[in-house]
Amino acid sequence: MRIRHLRNPAAATLLAAAALAAPRAHADDAPMFSFSGYGTVGAAHSSNGQADYLVDEFKPNGPGFTHRWSADVDSRLGAQLTATFTPKVSAVVQVITQQGYDDSYRPTVEWANVKYQVTPDFSVRAGRVVLPIYMVTDSRRVGYGNPWVRPPVEVYSLVPVASVDGIDGSYRFLMGDVAATLQATFASSDSHFPNASGFNAGVAKARHEVAIVGTLERGFMTLRVNYGHADLTIDSFKPFFDAYRQFGPAGAALADRYGVDKRNVDFVGVGASYDPGRWFVTAEWAKFDTHSVLGAKSAWYVSGGHRFGPVTPYVTYASMKADSNRSDPGLSLQGLPPQLAGTVAFLNSTLNMTLGLIPVQHTDSIGMRWDFMRNAAFKVQLDEVHVDRTSTGTFGNFQPGFQPGSTVRVVSAVVDFIF
Amino acid sequence: MKLRLLGGLLLFSLAVLPSLAASGSDVVAVVSSKSRVTSLNSDQVADIFLGKTSHFPDGTQATPIDQSEDSPARERFYAQFTGKSPAQVRAYWAKIIFTGRGQPPRQVGNSAEAKKLVAQNPNAIAYIDSAMVDDSVRVVDGR
Repeated sequence: MRIRHLRNPAAATLLAAAALAAPRAHADDAPMFSFSGYGTVGAAHSSNGQADYLVDEFKPNGPGFTHRWSADVDSRLGAQLTATFTPKVSAVVQVITQQGYDDSYRPTVEWANVKYQVTPDFSVRAGRVVLPIYMVTDSRRVGYGNPWVRPPVEVYSLVPVASVDGIDGSYRFLMGDVAATLQATFASSDSHFPNASGFNAGVAKARHEVAIVGTLERGFMTLRVNYGHADLTIDSFKPFFDAYRQFGPAGAALADRYGVDKRNVDFVGVGASYDPGRWFVTAEWAKFDTHSVLGAKSAWYVSGGHRFGPVTPYVTYASMKADSNRSDPGLSLQGLPPQLAGTVAFLNSTLNMTLGLIPVQHTDSIGMRWDFMRNAAFKVQLDEVHVDRTSTGTFGNFQPGFQPGSTVRVVSAVVDFIF
Repeated sequence: MKLRLLGGLLLFSLAVLPSLAASGSDVVAVVSSKSRVTSLNSDQVADIFLGKTSHFPDGTQATPIDQSEDSPARERFYAQFTGKSPAQVRAYWAKIIFTGRGQPPRQVGNSAEAKKLVAQNPNAIAYIDSAMVDDSVRVVDGR
């Protein structure tokens, strides 16, 4: 995960590969090392001072309650070193600094892998990679590469995952005039999350992560199908469900149903985009089912823009909903002695509060990208977030005055650059 | 709702503004006269320069030779063959580079250098000003 410490096997692998491969580097090819980077400087304001606007579950705070204006939503700096040891062996290390779960800007390793180009169209990588489960997941930090200030929050916060440690393979082939790419990833990850969303702070451990992505490109058209699966464990939920287990088979049944212990989670998504140059339209739908207290949810967006020279205005509609129950009668209090009834009532209300955190909302956005100079773009965006009456949406750090059903306006301005 | 109306209005009002188009002499895609490749359509040329494929339709390896951003032929080539402006091409490569998926093609300074390189290498493909075509290279874009 992007928020992890640098204790990674990837770096060791990389060094080993560098040591082995370096003497064989060819002088006649591309330069052996290339350095490049990207970044965003931005600020965002939310009209609702009773909660923070959070773009994913890793953000500890944001504009709204904690800050009137926040530079932390989108600002970041990424630096990348690419090493080409031989025509077939290369390695990449990318370090990012951005607001992390602990509210620091401590740099983290986003990518660190060695790539072996088996054939011109088949490559394998080992080390740290990013799960490519959406149209732009793996490049979502690279603001300059995308039309928006940030990818639509409803869809891109659905699976809060950035980088993972493992291996992936990519195979590219032509079917007539359709360029097809198949990509498979096998990995695991530990991601720290703060308390802002209402869950206690903790670590989400994903094991046996599998992601399979198929992409078809023909002319200006791109179609994409994504599938993902993992075993998810969040230890900070364990004491809560262990407490339920004290109450016989009925309590154990609730713990089994909602616990987050080696839980099968799965993801499916489809996306399409059409970009003939002058204009673009892109749409994505995705569904994430955790089979646990974290629920099942689905989201989609459609976005389009028109390019007028260096200026690209765009509009986006995005929506997310819960596909699982958001309340539960819990454990019956009947026949329990008063002290135990109090405990169970507390457990039941916590369970229902957590189920209620599954966000339901939709957002209308309007924005503009202006490529005002080579390698830099200025963007402004206005989001109108309509939070469902039954939900707190993707917001966090709620204050007593926060009203479900609110409409919140978020204004953002950023400069994206590459170097 | 208000926002959606506003968005529609904005797109509509901007649509009536004149937009900019690249102008100048034609740019053509060329391979070495020693190459076996005789014809490619503009999508096939675009796929090679955008790194979506690494070979020609007959299966032989394709090595694209790009030109630097200071070369006027570059903007015309990408507008003509990919529909992308220079900024869009940069944004496209930013996504590829920073996800470790690849590196953009090797660049040379101008059409003359591109022609010299492509003439020597049967696997290479380049774009040059149409006025510079001679018998060392073969024009491959069929449309």
